[in-house]
Amino acid sequence: MKNGEIKIETELEHEIEVDEVSEGLNPHAQICLQHLLRVWLGFERDLAKVPLLRRIDLGTYTAEDHQLFLLNIRQQVIEGSRWITRTASSFDRDHAEIRSTVISHAVDEHRDYEMLEKDFVASGGRLEDILSMERNIGSEALHGFLMHKSSQPNPIDLLGAMWIIEGLGEKMATSWAERIQELTGLGKDSTRFMTYHGHNDSEHMERFYATLDSVCTDEKAIQRIVKTAKVVARLYRLQLEELEQSGE
Amino acid sequence: MYITSTGIFLPGPSVAVEEVENILGAVHGKPSSLRVQIQKANKIQTRHYAIDENQQTTHSNTEMAANAAEQCLDRAFIGREKVGMLAVASTQGDLPAPGMASMVQAELELPEIEILTTHGICSSSIMALKAAWNSMRLEEHEAALVVSSELASRLLKKQRYEAATTSTFATKRIDFSTEFLRWMLSDGAGALLLQNKPAPKGLSLRIDWIRAFSHAHALPTCMSVGSAGRNEDKRTWQDYNTYAEAEKDGALLLRQDVRLLENLMRMGVDGYLRLVDEGVSNPSKVDHFLCHYSSHHFRNKILELLDRAGVGIPEEKWWTNLYTRGNTGSASLFIMLDEFLRTDEVTIKEGESVLCFVPESGRFNTTYVHLTVVSQ
Repeated sequence: MKNGEIKIETELEHEIEVDEVSEGLNPHAQICLQHLLRVWLGFERDLAKVPLLRRIDLGTYTAEDHQLFLLNIRQQVIEGSRWITRTASSFDRDHAEIRSTVISHAVDEHRDYEMLEKDFVASGGRLEDILSMERNIGSEALHGFLMHKSSQPNPIDLLGAMWIIEGLGEKMATSWAERIQELTGLGKDSTRFMTYHGHNDSEHMERFYATLDSVCTDEKAIQRIVKTAKVVARLYRLQLEELEQSGE
Repeated sequence: MYITSTGIFLPGPSVAVEEVENILGAVHGKPSSLRVQIQKANKIQTRHYAIDENQQTTHSNTEMAANAAEQCLDRAFIGREKVGMLAVASTQGDLPAPGMASMVQAELELPEIEILTTHGICSSSIMALKAAWNSMRLEEHEAALVVSSELASRLLKKQRYEAATTSTFATKRIDFSTEFLRWMLSDGAGALLLQNKPAPKGLSLRIDWIRAFSHAHALPTCMSVGSAGRNEDKRTWQDYNTYAEAEKDGALLLRQDVRLLENLMRMGVDGYLRLVDEGVSNPSKVDHFLCHYSSHHFRNKILELLDRAGVGIPEEKWWTNLYTRGNTGSASLFIMLDEFLRTDEVTIKEGESVLCFVPESGRFNTTYVHLTVVSQ
């Protein structure tokens, strides 16, 4: 199979020929990654329309915007470790390898929210405000969906969720953190969650590709993973769109 | 439908990196502190200008377009009377009105043809090409001429910046977004002849498909002329009481929001993946990749990801003459195609496929052209 061409049916019922690359992803995982890339690029483009994030692009983002952002995102970060650990427990012994990967991922991130709280205080916010902040409407929907999905047996489609959330972590680190400091005049201690999270994410991505290669081996798996990525992208955007409603 | 002939016009001598500021002029007599940095980043070695070292125009945009068209027609195997349509693209014609195609038609003395002017930035030539190709597909014409010409240097000469006394350029210590394109763009024109059959001799390029995706609905303006470049100021150049005021405020300076530029590569990849997904484009069958941006602009994770996803285009298939002919905006791809068909750097064989990609940063329009090399 090393140098051959493999033809597989995609959901659009046309043939895509995939050149196999040695030590690369399997052909189904490659197709899945193509779809995931498009979901990500669409998500990223649509984020540019979210008013608060548009202000990062336009250069009008303020320290208050940053507080609002952190205030709203904390719940999702807290709940993140819950759905990840739930995901780990939903994999049976035939998926022990993935379960280990998911568990170590959860260990890496399960207390990230504490860093986020410190960032909020460094941005001029009051600790009690962020501690008492409820989930916004989008966070409710996102959390509900992820807890539901992670409770299903062998929830491989959550790779789609990880794709979006890890991608965002990297975007925060590479595109937002420094720009936010520049625009708001806040120090590095206001964006530690963004930068720290990004550093960790490149390792996470390598693990992600390895997992994708092992679980995405048929058309059905592609569809499940890509659909979950689309839902998470939409609900994550909803969470960010709801930021400015939350204070009212 | 086939591209059966091409022509180009590059004004004046080839200008080396260190001579560029002699032509465009040092603003207030002071050499730019950003020039070297920007030129290093874009890697363009030589380029052409239709202005001289006193910043006087040597060729109008219309003349450049007509010169490229003349060369294209001279190389064609058909008489010019067969040309039924003239489509002309430019970022800024010599006159704001009428359309540039009228002026080019007059210069070429082509009688009673259908004309089309497309307005935009880099992708306007692809808009013109697609419209001409569609007219041909409707069998309205036997042959159509598509021309693209850019005279950016008139926007980039020192006097423009010196006159902008209350602009961001005058008030900021460094105004990267206003200076970036000054060291990037240059002048030139290219022309393609479309016919309903291949040329009787030599190679022709069959047009297989042309697709375009614009993302202006989501993303802010990235490259523009006509506003002062301040978010809070919504006025455009025509809203000032006088044009002199607009100029003073910097509303006539060419700007690029470099921070947003990364979106262009991302949207380019998105469109490419969309075409792969639709089964329109097959990466493993692309023999030559002609890109308006050079590969080093994409040198980031996204190319690695494309390779990982099995749809990357190997670097040896990329070809460009951007480094020697300059970035001539909308004319770039036509100038590239002309040299691609003639250069010894690549061997082109019948049956090979050529994927062209022209992204426009203006407000993120990404365009793709697929060609197949044929001979009669």
